[in-house]
Amino acid sequence: MVSRDQIESVLGRIRPLMQADGGDIELVDVKGNNAHVRLTGMCAGCPSAHMTLYMGVEMALRDEIKDFEELVVV
Amino acid sequence: MRTPGSFSPDDVVVGHSARMRAIFDFVKVVSRSDSNVIITGESGTGKEVIAQLLHHASSRRHQPFVAVSCALFSENLIETELFGHERGAFTGAIKDKPGRFELAQGGTLFLDDIDDVPLSMQVKLLRAIQNRTVERVGGTRSISVNVRVITGSKRDLKRMVAEGNFREDLFYRLNVLPIVLPPLRDRREDIPLLTDFFFKRFARQRGIDLPAISPAVRYTFGRYRWPGNVRELENACERIVQTCSCGTVRTGCVAAGILFGAGETVAAAPTAGIAAGEAQSISLDDRLRDVESSLITWALKVSDGNKSRAAELLSIKRSTLGDRITRCGLAEPAAAKPVDAPVALSA
Repeated sequence: MVSRDQIESVLGRIRPLMQADGGDIELVDVKGNNAHVRLTGMCAGCPSAHMTLYMGVEMALRDEIKDFEELVVV
Repeated sequence: MRTPGSFSPDDVVVGHSARMRAIFDFVKVVSRSDSNVIITGESGTGKEVIAQLLHHASSRRHQPFVAVSCALFSENLIETELFGHERGAFTGAIKDKPGRFELAQGGTLFLDDIDDVPLSMQVKLLRAIQNRTVERVGGTRSISVNVRVITGSKRDLKRMVAEGNFREDLFYRLNVLPIVLPPLRDRREDIPLLTDFFFKRFARQRGIDLPAISPAVRYTFGRYRWPGNVRELENACERIVQTCSCGTVRTGCVAAGILFGAGETVAAAPTAGIAAGEAQSISLDDRLRDVESSLITWALKVSDGNKSRAAELLSIKRSTLGDRITRCGLAEPAAAKPVDAPVALSA
C-alpha cells in the first residue's frame, strides 16, 4: 500500500512550478497502489498538459515509490 | 552520411555569454586557415554546427562538407567508410566505392565522435591525415586528398591520451586549433535567447502564431540542468510548440521530466538551529563556521560551481567568496570544472 504522504512528496516537487502558472495537480484519492489526481487551474482543459503530466508524473511516481502502480487522471 | 540539409549561418544563435562570443570570434579567425580543428563538447552542445560554420566561412564553402560519426560503425566498417574500398576487396564489395575522405575532396571532412575510434584505426587515421593520402581497402594506389579535417569529441582527448585510450601522436596532429564548447548549464544566460529562437522557428514551421511564454516556464528552463544541452532544449521547444493549443505556454505544457529536474535544483538554503532546551556550552565561532561552510557548499551546488553566481546568491562579493572558501577549507567541486579551455578562448 502506498501512502498519501509518499505521493504528496513527489507531487510537491513540481507543485510550486505549476502553481506559479496558476495551475495545480491535486491528489484526489489513493486507492490501493493507485493515485487519482486532478489537474486544476489554467491547464485543466488542455489535452496536451494532461498527456504530458500523465506520462511524466506516473513515471516519477513509479521510480520513487516501489509499489506504485497507476496514475489515474480524473 | 549525415546530410547537412539546408545549413545557413543565419540559423546559428551566438548568445550573450562571453564564452560563446569568444568562440564565435575564434571561429571567424580560424575559418580562413586550413589547419585541423578539434571541437570538444558534451553531446548536444553544437559541435557539428560549429564545424558547418567553419566550412561555410572558409574558402572551401563551395566544395563538399562531409560529416560522419565514427561511433556509428564497427571497427572494420570505419575503415571502408572513411577510405573506401576496391571491387572484390571483401564479400559483397561488388564495385569500387570512394570513402568519406575522397567524397570530401576539396572541402571539409567532419569526423565526429573521434573518441570512439578504436586504437587500431587511429594509426591509419594518423597516416591519412599526416600524408594527405588514402588507400582504399583492397587497393594499392595512394589517392591524394585535399580536405580540411575537423574532429569532434565528447570526451577530453588529453585525458584519454593519459589513460592510454587515444594515441598521443594523433592527438597532437588533430589538436592544432582546439575549440571547447561549454555545456548549456554553464551558460544559462543564453537559455532565454535560445528558447525564443527555437519557439519562433517551430511556430513558423507549424504555421501558427508565436505563443506567449509564461515567466514560470522561463524560470523552469533556467533551473533545469539540460543534460542533453542545446539539442534537448530544441526538442523541448519543438514538443511544446507542436502540442500547444491555447496560445500560451505554461508549466503544464512542459515535460514533467524537466519540471521534476528543475524542482530538484530549487533546493532550499540550509538553516542551522539549536534545539530548545539545549543547555550545554557551544563554541559560537565553530557554529558560525559550520553555518558559513554549509551555506557556501549549498550556494556552489545550486549554481553548478559557478562562483560568481554563488556569490550573488549569498549577497557577497565574488572575491570575498574566494577568501571564505579558502578559510573554510572547502575545495571546489571537481565535477563542475570544464575540460581544459584553450588559451585562445579564455579571454
